[in-house]
Amino acid sequence: MSTIPAAATPSKALVSLARCALLLLFLAGWEILPRLGVIPSTTFPPLSTVLATVVDNREFGRHAVTSTARAFGGLAAAIAVGLPLGLLLGGWFPGTRQALEPLMEMFGQANPVILSHIVVLFIGIGTKTQLFIIAWLSIWPIAFSTISGVRSVNPQLLKAAGSFGLGRWKLFTAVVLPSAAPAIITGLRLAAGYSFIMLIAAELMGATTGLGYVMATSAETADMKSLAAAALTVTALGVATDALLKLAGRRVVTWGYQGVTG
Amino acid sequence: MTEMRTMNLAALHNKLLRSSGILFFLLLWETASRFTWVDAYFLPPCSTVAAEIVRLFGDGSLVSNLAISSVRALGGLLLALIIGLPLGFLFGRRLVIVGEILDPLLRIASQVNPFLVLMASTLILGFGESAKFFVIAWVSLWPVLFYTTTAFHTVDPYQIKIARSLAVSETELLAKVLIPSALPTIFTGIRISAGITFFILVAVEMLNATSGLGWLEHNSAMNFEIPTMYAAATVIVVLGFLLNRFLLSLENALFSWNASSSTVTRSAVREEPKPVWRPNRGAAMTAAAALALVFCAGGYELRKVNAERSRELAGPDLGKHARHLGSEVRK
Repeated sequence: MSTIPAAATPSKALVSLARCALLLLFLAGWEILPRLGVIPSTTFPPLSTVLATVVDNREFGRHAVTSTARAFGGLAAAIAVGLPLGLLLGGWFPGTRQALEPLMEMFGQANPVILSHIVVLFIGIGTKTQLFIIAWLSIWPIAFSTISGVRSVNPQLLKAAGSFGLGRWKLFTAVVLPSAAPAIITGLRLAAGYSFIMLIAAELMGATTGLGYVMATSAETADMKSLAAAALTVTALGVATDALLKLAGRRVVTWGYQGVTG
Repeated sequence: MTEMRTMNLAALHNKLLRSSGILFFLLLWETASRFTWVDAYFLPPCSTVAAEIVRLFGDGSLVSNLAISSVRALGGLLLALIIGLPLGFLFGRRLVIVGEILDPLLRIASQVNPFLVLMASTLILGFGESAKFFVIAWVSLWPVLFYTTTAFHTVDPYQIKIARSLAVSETELLAKVLIPSALPTIFTGIRISAGITFFILVAVEMLNATSGLGWLEHNSAMNFEIPTMYAAATVIVVLGFLLNRFLLSLENALFSWNASSSTVTRSAVREEPKPVWRPNRGAAMTAAAALALVFCAGGYELRKVNAERSRELAGPDLGKHARHLGSEVRK
């Protein structure tokens, strides 16, 4: 395979250089074009103005921290429920898994906005509702990836480990978990992405703090500086979390399939 | 004979088992509400919700809103395909270096929050249909683009070399080697996009529309028509589920010859035995015609409803608040 390149592959250094140049060009364009009036600075404020809003405004920092805490709180709850659920259904209860899978798929289809209408009826508006929405929608990717990870463990490995006399717990920690780890990491990355999407949805639907709230109010008053600042922060948080998980995945999993969007 | 019977029994058992979770959930819903373990006003029993779905179906509002939603979804997805497929081919085969250089920027763009895109496009493009198409197309573009790029980039180089040594022309290479071998992965991308499209469509219609399934749900929630709200929500969830299932089985039927597609799309759902039905040209034509028909009929409905709603908005005493539009007062 290696003798024929899949397609013309340019040198690595050149590509990374060009990537950096392009990113810089993009940022420079964001700064310069509104200043020159090529694109209206009232709709697209220049980068420095947006960054100044992020840095100077103490209120803004508080909102950002609140939002991050909510996203991670929801994600943590989703992991706490989804991971054991996936391990149990994937490894120990195949009958229950078959019975629950279609239902779980349907639960995963619930939109954040639909969910918020229903959840609000029962627990009212507040942080609890937002956490619930984030957690609910992030559980399913984790659970499904874990199930498929556990189920795709090579049975011969299990047999070999069994014939070495490994106990159940040892079998689980030494064979099943490492084999399922790539799939679990993929699920976690999906869920982390979801949690930031749902965070904004939940905060738009009814909150008095957080970046989603900042967006909603600044959109109403057409305060493009604050809107862009909130947008930049949310995107940066999402990208950073994904990069972090990807890195963690590389450290934990040194083999295995990472997915097309890897 | 007995073997056949045991096989049928096993299949039946499997079906029953797989639907038991949902049946149990429905039963729980019904009893919880009937015996007022929860407030029946906030959670009407599922039989009430089912009756409400039938009523909405009967008075035509369900069909009308469904048609409108389908147009938005199909239009947005089509836009994403028109942009994503050629661009993916370019980045995967022709301008690989450009694709590689643009990759980080595109990845970041794909991670921009869809709700943010929704707000920004509403501010810039207004409340019209173009903003909705834009958001849906934006969100569903990325899976199509990334999967198409990967698909064309990872075509087996030996196949290309063999084709080249047989002196096939560039167009033939594209039609007979590249596209067939890229198609399974591309289809996976389209399936993922369709799921996301449906998801974001409903959100868009809830936050920024006066028609469509999402609006039906949101509007009834704002008016405290709780059975209607649950009815619309159930329809949305079930439709999303069915769409996902349909596309998965279509993928299985179309590309069951392709072993690699199952490793790319390995999911907990894939368990059904290979379907007997194989899609052919006639089926493809029928499907295309049906989609075109839905698109035209829905487009007509969309124009009609939008015109009606804007008249209502302009009227002196009707619809002071956009959220109360179109909902009749019930006694």
